[in-house]
Amino acid sequence: MGHGHYIEPAFGREVHRVGAGERLDLDFVILPGQPRDLRIEVDLVGEGAEVNLRGLYLCPSDEQVSITVILHHRVSGCRSSQLFKGIVGGTAKVRFDGTIIVAPDAQQTEAYQENHNILLTETALVETSPQLEIYADDVKCSHGATVGRLNEEEQFYMRSRGIPEAEAKILQMISFLAPVTSHLPETQAAAIESALRSIL
Amino acid sequence: MAEILLDIRNLHARVEGKEILKGIDLTVRRGEIHAVMGPNGAGKSTLGAVLTGKPGYEVTEGSVTFAGEDLLAMAPEERSWAGLFLSFQYPVEIPGVGITNFMKTAVNARRKAQGLEPMKAPEFLKLMKEKMALVQMRPEFSKREVNVGFSGGEKKRNEIFQMAMLSPVLSILDETDSGLDVDALKIVAEGVNSLHTPETAAMIITHYQKLLDYVRPDIVHILKAGRIVRTAGRELVEEIEREGFDKF
Repeated sequence: MGHGHYIEPAFGREVHRVGAGERLDLDFVILPGQPRDLRIEVDLVGEGAEVNLRGLYLCPSDEQVSITVILHHRVSGCRSSQLFKGIVGGTAKVRFDGTIIVAPDAQQTEAYQENHNILLTETALVETSPQLEIYADDVKCSHGATVGRLNEEEQFYMRSRGIPEAEAKILQMISFLAPVTSHLPETQAAAIESALRSIL
Repeated sequence: MAEILLDIRNLHARVEGKEILKGIDLTVRRGEIHAVMGPNGAGKSTLGAVLTGKPGYEVTEGSVTFAGEDLLAMAPEERSWAGLFLSFQYPVEIPGVGITNFMKTAVNARRKAQGLEPMKAPEFLKLMKEKMALVQMRPEFSKREVNVGFSGGEKKRNEIFQMAMLSPVLSILDETDSGLDVDALKIVAEGVNSLHTPETAAMIITHYQKLLDYVRPDIVHILKAGRIVRTAGRELVEEIEREGFDKF
């Protein structure tokens, strides 16, 4: 069995326990002008449990966003994947803390976490801190975090084909976010695109 | 004589503070094919970059007029709308952006600048299909991401495909022949030749004569250390091939 939902991110905690053979999918979107302090805790408590967390945040002005994820693999044979992507500009501040804990008994764990960010301005700030605490020995775990900028070579290439600079940046941002937006309902994806257009 | 399309006068440009172009004079008329040849580091690619408005290339002196307009005052996208096209020496990969969407955005941006409605989907797809056939791209090509995972030859054919889609007035081909096998070279050359009309012009920037065996230039320039040191007819190509650039 599987269940999934789209969470309306708020100031608060999302706490989930996923049992044997269950699957949980959680997605969130933080649109411009929404300061948030979100904490997601997931416990994988039954064998073969699976969780997929995905989120994106658009913080182009002066938003303060904090995202904390604590993912606990308590038993063996569970799988978790996390993908969070953000575009941060103006004087916005984003903090991401992601902890994966793999308990001593949680053998054959698979746990993946990625957090990627694009900064639009010099004054925007992203602090990303992924942490792995692994107490089992038979595990596959990886995490990655990046903070980068929109690629100017790509922009010039597009502009040389007649795509205006702003449109080139929107194409870049849409493709950057695509791994998250492709899992979202159509209406959400449309809201994100229109938010991106209003950023520039 | 045909109308002047591109007029470069005493063009000086620098990159990262270093002067690369040291006074270029070059005139291209409609209907002409020019070759700009020269050794590595002569400033050939810089010339292409300056003409298309690449950021980081600073013009310090001189002027460039394109179809009567001040080219240097235009943004890169405006130069494209005016009919300028550069086939990149190193085409850029754009992960996540599909070729169809990329081309549709490009074609419609220009139409918008010209005050036209966006092209209707069936008309656009027909155009895509026709131009893909020109460079012998298979139908799956339209579903791929721009240049991602393309072989060297595919990247160059993709440049010529884009050129065909945008039907420029002046095409600049920057080392389009480098890294191409003979088959790909012929495809590229046929593409260039078929797009050539009495109204359009091309500037082929190259190190070797390879491409010039298939696309016959009317005028050949030798660029060396930031200056054009010789301009002549196509017989100059054979002279360079025989004797190298050193004597010029």
